[in-house]
Amino acid sequence: MAAPKKTPDRHYDFTSMNKWFAWSSLALLLITVWMIFEDYAKPWKRFQAEFRELERQELAQEAEAERQRIDQDEIARIQAEIESEEARLDEQRSDLDELQDRLADLDDKVYEADVDARTTKSHLDTERFSYDVAQQTGDADKIAAASLAVDTRRATYQENRIALEAFTEQRAQVKAEIDRKMAGLSEDQAQLIALQGGLEALESRVADLGKGLDYFLLNAPVMDMLEPNLRIDQVQLTGLYQNINFTTVDRVDRCVTCHVAATRAGFDEEKWEEPFRSHPRLDLFVSSSSPHPYTQFGCTTCHGGLDRATDFARAGHSPESEEQKAEWKHEWGWEKQKYLDTPILPAKYSEAGCIGCHAGNVWTPSSTTQDTGRELIMRMGCYGCHKIDYPAYTDLPRSGPSLERVASKTNPAWAYKWIEAPRDFHPTTWMPHFFFQENIEGELNEERQRAEIRSVVAYIWDRSEEVSYPAPPRGSSDRGETLFDTVGCTGCHLRDDEANRDDYYPQFNRMHGPNLVRTGSKVDPGWLFAWIKDPKAYNPETRMPSLRLTDQEAADLVAYLMSSRDPAFENLTLPEVDGEVRDELVLTYLQGTQTIEQSRATLGSMDDTARDVYLGQQTITKYGCFGCHNVAGFEDVKPIGVELTEEGSKPIHQFDFGHIHDVPHTRQDWIKTKMLQPRIWDHGKETVKDYAELYRMPDFGMSDREAEAIVANVLGFTKESVVTARRADQTPGAAALANGRKLITRFNCQGCHLIEDIGQAIKTSITDPGLWPPNLAAEGARVQSDWLFEYLHDPGIESMRPWLNVRMPTFGFQDGDVNTVLSYFAAREGRDAFLSEPGRPDQRDLTVGQGVFAMLQCAKCHPAGPVDTSAGVSAAELAPSLLLARDRLRHDWVDDWIKDPLSFVTGTKMPVFFSQLDDGSYSSPLAQGIDLPMWRGEKDRMLRHFDSEAELKEYLADAEKVTAAMRDHIWWGLKRGS
Amino acid sequence: MNKYRFLTFCLLAVSLLGIACGGGGDEAAAPTAAAAPAAATGSGAITGVINYANGDPDTAIGMDADPVCVGLHAEGAVTEQVVGDEGRLGNVFVYIKSGLSGSFPASADKVVLDQQGCMYNPHVSGVQVGQPVVIRNSDPTLHNVHALPTANAEFNKGQPFQNMEFEHKFDTAEVMVRFKCDVHPWMNSYMGVVSHPFFAVSGTDGSYSIENVPAGTYTVEAWHETLGTQTMEVTVADDAAAAASFDFASAG
Repeated sequence: MAAPKKTPDRHYDFTSMNKWFAWSSLALLLITVWMIFEDYAKPWKRFQAEFRELERQELAQEAEAERQRIDQDEIARIQAEIESEEARLDEQRSDLDELQDRLADLDDKVYEADVDARTTKSHLDTERFSYDVAQQTGDADKIAAASLAVDTRRATYQENRIALEAFTEQRAQVKAEIDRKMAGLSEDQAQLIALQGGLEALESRVADLGKGLDYFLLNAPVMDMLEPNLRIDQVQLTGLYQNINFTTVDRVDRCVTCHVAATRAGFDEEKWEEPFRSHPRLDLFVSSSSPHPYTQFGCTTCHGGLDRATDFARAGHSPESEEQKAEWKHEWGWEKQKYLDTPILPAKYSEAGCIGCHAGNVWTPSSTTQDTGRELIMRMGCYGCHKIDYPAYTDLPRSGPSLERVASKTNPAWAYKWIEAPRDFHPTTWMPHFFFQENIEGELNEERQRAEIRSVVAYIWDRSEEVSYPAPPRGSSDRGETLFDTVGCTGCHLRDDEANRDDYYPQFNRMHGPNLVRTGSKVDPGWLFAWIKDPKAYNPETRMPSLRLTDQEAADLVAYLMSSRDPAFENLTLPEVDGEVRDELVLTYLQGTQTIEQSRATLGSMDDTARDVYLGQQTITKYGCFGCHNVAGFEDVKPIGVELTEEGSKPIHQFDFGHIHDVPHTRQDWIKTKMLQPRIWDHGKETVKDYAELYRMPDFGMSDREAEAIVANVLGFTKESVVTARRADQTPGAAALANGRKLITRFNCQGCHLIEDIGQAIKTSITDPGLWPPNLAAEGARVQSDWLFEYLHDPGIESMRPWLNVRMPTFGFQDGDVNTVLSYFAAREGRDAFLSEPGRPDQRDLTVGQGVFAMLQCAKCHPAGPVDTSAGVSAAELAPSLLLARDRLRHDWVDDWIKDPLSFVTGTKMPVFFSQLDDGSYSSPLAQGIDLPMWRGEKDRMLRHFDSEAELKEYLADAEKVTAAMRDHIWWGLKRGS
Repeated sequence: MNKYRFLTFCLLAVSLLGIACGGGGDEAAAPTAAAAPAAATGSGAITGVINYANGDPDTAIGMDADPVCVGLHAEGAVTEQVVGDEGRLGNVFVYIKSGLSGSFPASADKVVLDQQGCMYNPHVSGVQVGQPVVIRNSDPTLHNVHALPTANAEFNKGQPFQNMEFEHKFDTAEVMVRFKCDVHPWMNSYMGVVSHPFFAVSGTDGSYSIENVPAGTYTVEAWHETLGTQTMEVTVADDAAAAASFDFASAG
């Protein structure tokens, strides 16, 4: 090898260094190009460019359609007119030019005069100030001089103003003259714009979206740092925070960089695919006029995901299915973001995002799945075992019936069979299955469970008060059936062996109380009679209200309910239990606090009953029965389940997936699987874990969508802190609404009433709409709080529609509950709960009101006395009695309602007599009717209060006066006894 | 140095261009909607007969609830659901359901819906979108006209006096809009609101005729209050009447 040639004065070889330099420069260049290209070829740019092109094509089509639509002949005609008009103007060009010159000249003059006037005015103000200063000095000369200066200046100002006004007037005249000459042309041009304007606008937008040279230049690599068409679109959300690596930072949402059409209307047809679709319900979300504008809430606040991401794979998108996951992986290189705690909620759970701000508002407006889930959580009583620290789930009574006196109601053998498998008896029950689940199979375990169930029954009967009831009076099952279907029972109860909870989804009002099938095989008839007559006597905390049944009605209902029987649940005996197995369980519990030897001694000292009762107490503790039932001895025991208040933020590694490998490792999949198969995570561990350590969560027999509805809530129970000012439940009235809605669900008001357009479940058994319990829309505007207070306490006092069979039950509300209802209705209508009594009107108004009441034949529907429904009048067609109006209705409501009933209650039978005109005022038909011979008597009576017929007619033609007079008559004139 | 100056110039030029050309994309006005040019009517027709097998007769109406109504019917009144001669069915609304193109200006002729003898007259009728409907009360008693549409706006107007009337126009096609009177629960009427003039109601002899139909192939639907709907493909030629008869049978 030849020695390297070195330049004498260098320590290194120049040639080789140049080579190194050349190669590394080239590498650097390539890397730079590569870097620029990578940056340039970001996927979001592709989306934007693609959408731009799609939109251009769409607009081009619209423009083409518009072109087809426009009448070309008409355009040609107008253009010809414009030309002739222009020709005509050309002839008068010199006149016009002169006018234009004069206008320009006058413009200058007006400007100058205006400047002069303003300047003089400011000088005048200065001199007035100088005058004040002179006054202070008290020097008479100075005062006189200053006063003179003010006067002189004022005179100048006056002259200036006169000049300005004169020039302004002249200018207006010249302008009018020009306009007059040009009028024909302007009109034609306006017509042309009206015809073509839409098309031109479209064409200009199509051109804007085209890809000309400017587009390529602006979006070229490097150049795109200036003013590109394709750019990251972001919004900074002040006051909404995101926790990134233990630091709380403002959210910065960039989602619309790819979801280009999300904030825009009109991209909701089938053909638009994500990310090019409009957000659904722009009236509610995202648009600037909605309650959740994009600029204030962004996207990730509700949906989750990484706010700053501009890359599909990194934004935290959650696939809906395994197929979608595979597709995403293939197409976008999607993979699960391990370090992102809040991935985007899958679409079916996106309503969970509402909870952060609407926590107190248990009926989130327009969120359906989540509302259903919230109702399910309340009905299933999840909060009994799992603390959920949201207002919707706190301070609620236990969801199941009290067991403190159950011995009076049924027998131990039935109770055993019930606990064993509740759904075998009531297919729709909310009571879950605790026993014979997948993780406690095998002969020994079955024997253990029998011992447990028997011991629970033993404990409950041991502690239960037993009252014996006399046999009920004889009743008729047929009459009972009619009563059951019409008096109101069906608002809360089913009596249907075929019923399936899922068929009723999402309206569970008729599952508020138990399904009454097989009642005859469950309860003692004497108890049933006493119970339906007065539920609170048996259990003061019960939600079951009293329907104020007579003895005969109650006896008929008992006869009907007891007629539903099932031999499989009658003449039962308690199964025999293996004493050894029971004793082994007792020992296990005893050993929790005692030594093995002590426990054996304790066991030996207990007799059979004591062992059963002891095991029963331990079993109730183990399964947490007291979470849903009042059980004697368990009044203050803490719930047994995991707290769920922040379950939606629990890190995924804290979920126990056991040995199950086919459930995706996401929060939603874990929770949903848990709902559907609560014991699944014990799979493969059954023999290793002690019997007492196995999962205990019971099986509620949920359908897929029930489980998903619950998941859509639990995912929303997060740590995410939303600043108070941004929370929906902090708005005025929100607490009143939230408390009211909670109470409405608790007492199942919607079983009978339509409230916020939901409810009236009872209509399945009462088919005639005229016989339904009322729609409570606008109730807060309609009735007086004082009246409603009395009525809710005792609905038996008087009835608006005494001819109806269905009855408003007596709930035995506390004052606090009633006030919650009053505040809720008032908040719904944005009104004060209380009003002052109005002053008495004069006799003239009362007489007119009475006459008009007769002429409009109000009494045809609103009876003023007892109704004989046998005389061809159908009860279903009658409207509430107005005799109660003064006690019941709000004074200001009556005439508002008469004027426009449909605006308060959709579908109401109350007709409009005073049609609203375009200007918002109301017309009156009465001046037209007053001359009919049949109303002569009314006319004569009214005329006594008027000087002339014309004056009466003027009064009658005024809808405001007439409706006020009707109100006064209804309010003052129809009072009972007057 | 010159190179840098050139580059700066370029950037400046491009940015100016960008400012000049950028923007302006979003605020352009949406195109104004307007009716398409009126399509011409034709010279064809669709005619037919509505047959009715094993028909149930109409039943009597008890009007006891309002003595005025009783007084207006010396011989009693019957429901008008299945009016028709033997084997024929009246009060069937027949119209072109689909196959038409273009739009048809609404007729200015007024369609009258009268309340006469505590019955709606006619019991079944048709109207074009935008065509005026005059609703009249010819009885000396209170009626209320409660329209229960699903696509159009609901209305419910009381007419307490004899010979009162008001005019209404429907905005949207809807077959059928039901009218009821809440004071007299037996009163019912049905109005087919369609976007063209090609509809008819069968007479008591079961026959109907839709005139001035442009040549083409259409889906024709026949609607009856209790017996449901039937459809048929019909091809219409110029200057000829295409036949489209329907057979209804009662469920019993």
